[in-house]
Amino acid sequence: MVVMASAQTSSRIPRLPDGKPDLQGMYDLAMLTPVERPAGLPAVLSDEQAAKLEKQAVEAARSGALPIDGNRTAPPKGGDGSVGPAGNVGGYNTFWLDRGTHYSTVDGQKRSSIVVDPPDGRVPALTPEARQRSTAARSAYQRQTSDQTESTDPGLEPAGAYDDPERRPLGERCVLGFGSTSGPPILPNYFYNNLHQIVQTPDTVMILTEMVHDARIVRLNAQHAPAHVRKWLGDSVGHWEGDTLVVETTNFSAKTRFRGSTDNLKVTEYFTRVDANSLKYRFTVEDPTTWERPWTGEYTWPITQDHLYEYACHEGNYAMENILRGARLREAEEMGKTKQ
Amino acid sequence: MRTQITTLLAGLGLVATALTPALAHHAFGGEFDPNKPVLLKGKITKIEWVNPHAWIHLEIQKPDGAVACEFTPNAKCEEWMVEGGTPNTLLRRGITRDSLTRGTEIVVDGYQTRDHSLARANGRNVTFPDGRKLFLGSSGTGAPVDGADPTEGRGRGRGRGGNN
Repeated sequence: MVVMASAQTSSRIPRLPDGKPDLQGMYDLAMLTPVERPAGLPAVLSDEQAAKLEKQAVEAARSGALPIDGNRTAPPKGGDGSVGPAGNVGGYNTFWLDRGTHYSTVDGQKRSSIVVDPPDGRVPALTPEARQRSTAARSAYQRQTSDQTESTDPGLEPAGAYDDPERRPLGERCVLGFGSTSGPPILPNYFYNNLHQIVQTPDTVMILTEMVHDARIVRLNAQHAPAHVRKWLGDSVGHWEGDTLVVETTNFSAKTRFRGSTDNLKVTEYFTRVDANSLKYRFTVEDPTTWERPWTGEYTWPITQDHLYEYACHEGNYAMENILRGARLREAEEMGKTKQ
Repeated sequence: MRTQITTLLAGLGLVATALTPALAHHAFGGEFDPNKPVLLKGKITKIEWVNPHAWIHLEIQKPDGAVACEFTPNAKCEEWMVEGGTPNTLLRRGITRDSLTRGTEIVVDGYQTRDHSLARANGRNVTFPDGRKLFLGSSGTGAPVDGADPTEGRGRGRGRGGNN
């Protein structure tokens, strides 16, 4: 009976000539399920809850597309009050965005978070060591600019963080996509360009991420690179356990710092083709120098018929130039004030 | 429109999650000056269809403009550039840089770059003169599929892949 059930299950998924599951395809990871569970939500959403939240997301996209006053004036001086990365100046129209409008369904359940372990759906607390590291990184910037006047401008804080391009976030520098899009672990950025393509041969699996056009090469049945070899996306090796591809990634660069982690980070991913239209993605993150305990997440990757496009990020990155110009001008202004 | 997104997230009870920090490719506030709001009315001269952000070029008629207007005879213009989002999203909806005709009149509200010697701004809202937002149209009118209308089939534009 067990053998028959297994055979029935496995016949539903595409396979390569060598009998291994065929993971290949284009996947769109845009979805509403966040990494961590929002307070007050159960681990599994009822159909009614999910439908209500999904409807709100569709409605927000629709209302964002409605016409506005063609005879409007300029936005308010002093900023439009937008918070966070929008930096008090706002972003652009919602037609540029593709955030997803569904909650991830795993094993028939509408999930309210990617994190499934710890069971509260939250990433574990940082270790005291990791908290100290984080504080030290912030004060390092402040020390280098301690001569500067404290600014209340939300756009150029913290002072020192704009001193040179290498202090800017990896996404802004076009090194990696924001939100751990390339991973590992691979996460949606809840914004746009969440497409991933898997290409597979008997000895290699390649995962192409649209943001920022990163190709991660997974060598099957291979050893990790020597410990001194460090990479932005780490060093990935994989093997098959039944119909699941298990990928272990170590050798991260100390600059990758996924959620403040160190180069001790180890990520184990499990790719399981569920049927012709989806793949189950599960991962476990470990870094004893960063989190009190390992943590695990999972969500479904739906196949899409859409195309993944090139993301030649450096090609037109005027933003970096504009940002650094702004910081240099402010420096010049502060120098002028000091001299007077 | 970040404020709308934030409002949406608040509605979903998600503001306090890891979503919020991911909502930007770059430091908007570091790039643009909150004390330099602008309202730009002009005609599209060029669209740079590049990542990480598309840039819409427009000419604005000004008596003391530095260049001759391309779309208004015998007039002087000032050239501006407006930052948009990633063009990849639009490509998937069947929209290309050729979808907007050069010379189309647009209205942009935003903030100028912190370096005021640059005629560049963020495209906080980019609309036609009647207030309709760029690249958007209702379904059933031959307009590109934009995903804004839940009743329309998604991805029927030129960006659609697969075995059609």
